[in-house]
Amino acid sequence: MTAPATAADAYPGYLDCLADADEYAAIDVALGLLDAGLPAERVLLDLVAPAQAEVGERWARNEWSVAQEHAATHISERVVAAVAAHARPQPTGGRVVVACMDGEWHALPPRLVAEVLRLRGWQVTFLGASVPAAHLVSYLRRHDAHAVALACALPVRLPHAHRMIEACRRSDVPVVVGGRGFGADGRWARRLGAAWAPDAPSAAELIADERALHRVPPAQLAHLADDEYASLVRRRGDLIDSALADLRERVPATRAYTAAQLDSTVSDLGHIVDFLAAALYVDDASLFTNFVGWLVGILTSRGVPAAAVDLSLRHFAGVLRDFPRVVHALAQGRAALLAADGRTAA
Amino acid sequence: MTAADVRDWDPGDGRISTPSGTRAPARSAAAPARPAAARPPLAPDRGQPPPDWSEVVEHFREGLVVCDADGVVRHVSPVAERLLPEVVPGELLAAAGVPGLSDGSAGDLTHRGRRLTARRVSLSGARCCWYVEDVTESVSRADALLAERARSAFLAAVGDKLGNPLHPDRAAAAAVRLAVPTLAEVAVLVLAPRSGRARWWRAARSDDEAPTVDSGVLASADLPAAVADGLTGVEPHAVDWLVKQAVDAGWLPGLTGAESAARVVPLPGGDAPVGVLLVARRATRWYDEDDVALIRAFAARAAAALTTALLYRDQAEVADTLQTSLVPVEPAETAGVQWGTAYRPAQAGLRIGGDFYGSHRLPDGGTVFFLGDVSGKGVEAAVFTGQLRQCLQALHRVESHPARLLRLLNDALLETTQAHGQGRFATIVLGVARPDRDGGITLTMAGGGHLPPLVLRASGEVESVPLRGMLIGVVPDPRVGEVTVRLAPGETCLLYSDGVTEARGGRRGDEQFGPERLVTAVTGCQRMPAPALAERVEQVTCDWLAHGDHDDIAVLALRAVGPSGRPSRHLHSVPPPAGSDEQIETRA
Repeated sequence: MTAPATAADAYPGYLDCLADADEYAAIDVALGLLDAGLPAERVLLDLVAPAQAEVGERWARNEWSVAQEHAATHISERVVAAVAAHARPQPTGGRVVVACMDGEWHALPPRLVAEVLRLRGWQVTFLGASVPAAHLVSYLRRHDAHAVALACALPVRLPHAHRMIEACRRSDVPVVVGGRGFGADGRWARRLGAAWAPDAPSAAELIADERALHRVPPAQLAHLADDEYASLVRRRGDLIDSALADLRERVPATRAYTAAQLDSTVSDLGHIVDFLAAALYVDDASLFTNFVGWLVGILTSRGVPAAAVDLSLRHFAGVLRDFPRVVHALAQGRAALLAADGRTAA
Repeated sequence: MTAADVRDWDPGDGRISTPSGTRAPARSAAAPARPAAARPPLAPDRGQPPPDWSEVVEHFREGLVVCDADGVVRHVSPVAERLLPEVVPGELLAAAGVPGLSDGSAGDLTHRGRRLTARRVSLSGARCCWYVEDVTESVSRADALLAERARSAFLAAVGDKLGNPLHPDRAAAAAVRLAVPTLAEVAVLVLAPRSGRARWWRAARSDDEAPTVDSGVLASADLPAAVADGLTGVEPHAVDWLVKQAVDAGWLPGLTGAESAARVVPLPGGDAPVGVLLVARRATRWYDEDDVALIRAFAARAAAALTTALLYRDQAEVADTLQTSLVPVEPAETAGVQWGTAYRPAQAGLRIGGDFYGSHRLPDGGTVFFLGDVSGKGVEAAVFTGQLRQCLQALHRVESHPARLLRLLNDALLETTQAHGQGRFATIVLGVARPDRDGGITLTMAGGGHLPPLVLRASGEVESVPLRGMLIGVVPDPRVGEVTVRLAPGETCLLYSDGVTEARGGRRGDEQFGPERLVTAVTGCQRMPAPALAERVEQVTCDWLAHGDHDDIAVLALRAVGPSGRPSRHLHSVPPPAGSDEQIETRA
């Protein structure tokens, strides 16, 4: 049997290595492709990236545990390191800092961007997962950077992302953002006034175009003046408490929850409030409806009925009836929930 | 033309009615009680002779030019005569050649160096009258005000941009970028030379609003004389040869010496200038006094930003060096052991804190490893961890038995803290890992008042290792706990600091994460590689914190991976992740 020479041929075998948590075999597959003449950038983007996306999908479908997902991600990181070490690019360009937003742990996509930039001659510093804004700023003051690339996989981090973007801007370093957290078309990046790149190659092109980097439209956040976002964030604890009390009253089974079950319910309710807050921050109810659709998928694959989510959405709509944008987003979310539930039921 | 002629004219637009003798009495009668001083009547008192309208009109600020139906000038008031000397009664107004008036378009015009406004009013009998006013002074006052406002707005924007401490290179690039286009078409900032080399940044105006910025280095001997003078604090005045020098240095793309104006101003620093700013633009706009004042004000702000940045850089270099020596060192590669670490100091801007971990290889193939937490936070605590690690570095060479090593460490620390009167103490788990023949490892651990380690068994069970003991560095001869744990291949031992279990979060942000949640979080993770496990613990802790404040967080995981059935060549083909020094900062 000959070794596969294209990323598409190698892909199924590579996924099996991830499933078996076989670090060495996975590295063999990737290095084999390099030996067969495939450029390092293609190995990263056509093999490692889609495999990692599949890992996420398998977790969402409850086919893989969190532990398997973490193990697979760790192996992907080792593969990226091996491919990067094999390529050994010589830096010719300026310094680019790549980091995950504060609270963002999906470090592999920005790691791939970092390696693609390195392969294209940039001197890249990868700061890793969940980088606190203060740490990033102090880094930028100590090391001159041509640009900062910030990744955000979950839109719930957008308010924090905005703070980080502003912090970089105050350091006068241009920012490029990417990741699914900014919306499939990057619409929320535009809302926050940040240059957005859909993938690693376009991020590299944007970073190479200095004038495009400096030509960024201002943020459009005038809607924050209505104070709905700030009020929601202030009331987060109360909202979770009251939603929990409401659940206990309406669904007697929840009264017998174990501590761990209670924690995960609290964490789910917290997610609902946080995504709602993020939707208010960028003034786009679709952020919330997308989340509801995703949540229903996650919960139904784990045997939790979508009706429980609707109960809490209805509760929040009642408590927050004085906030027109919240009420609108919740109504849209409930409609999305009905639609998603119909799909999974059918 | 007589006064009577003037009186009988009607402006003709219906808005202004000419006062007449018949209306004057009515007006006086209507307001008889009004004191004359409050509002002098326009019309003369009854019984007085009518005013000489010609005389009144001639004292208007506006000059009058009256033309007849054919456009021939019939009357020119003295003011108009002064403003428009070419307009002569009896001639066609169009023939006078005054712009605006000639072609009949009213509005603002510049004539003989004066700014005039002209308005045309139709009179009866197809005649017309031009009212011409000299507005030179009010216009220049308004212009000066606008210019002053623009300058203030510019300086405010500059202060805003340069107000944050920046990296010196950033500050220099930002300064030249801000100077274009307001101050110059090309702006060059030259920093004071360091070891014989001067770095420069240049911004040049391009088609759209964003100027292009580039930079370079010159030997100090090659600096243009004017720039070298500027660096001594002298502002050069011989402007003509300045442009030539800048052109010769290749700094002024698109500008030639003959048609350009340039200025050099020093950037005032602490004792000597931090650099100089050279601005140049086409000679269609020379630099006047106001411009130079603005350039100096700009230079002062740029200089302040640069001085701050340079100061920060010098301080940061010192801090960086010290921090690097205090950042935990990743455990050394050990046969049969896979290490995983996570480190997140309480102060996000700092890479160091009061938690520490590390390892030292023993000559007999074993490895000493430790994780601990010293009292206090921040830099002071980090310095103490440094002392502690150095102690261990030295002591493990004379004693490799964990409990005895811990007692030695206690004595050493006690002596240091008593000598310095610091009263510092530490909690620590210190162990020795020795590989077994079957691919497992035997851990002998000593406890100094630290949280008990967890062991992830291959069966999926998570055990808490019973390890007690007293704080280190408090009393002589403390009680030290001791325990031996065997890890089969694929089993993991997890050490963590109280930053994990005491993380405050949850619904209200005040609930402790606690050991139970930690156990739940790592349950089912027995197949995870050690680095992934350490990162998971860090992640669930940070998720629990939800951006809240936290204590230092440190995690150390050891996994028995065996001499490995796999050939080891791949282990060597995979170097630490590229830029692994930065990876450490990440954890910070």
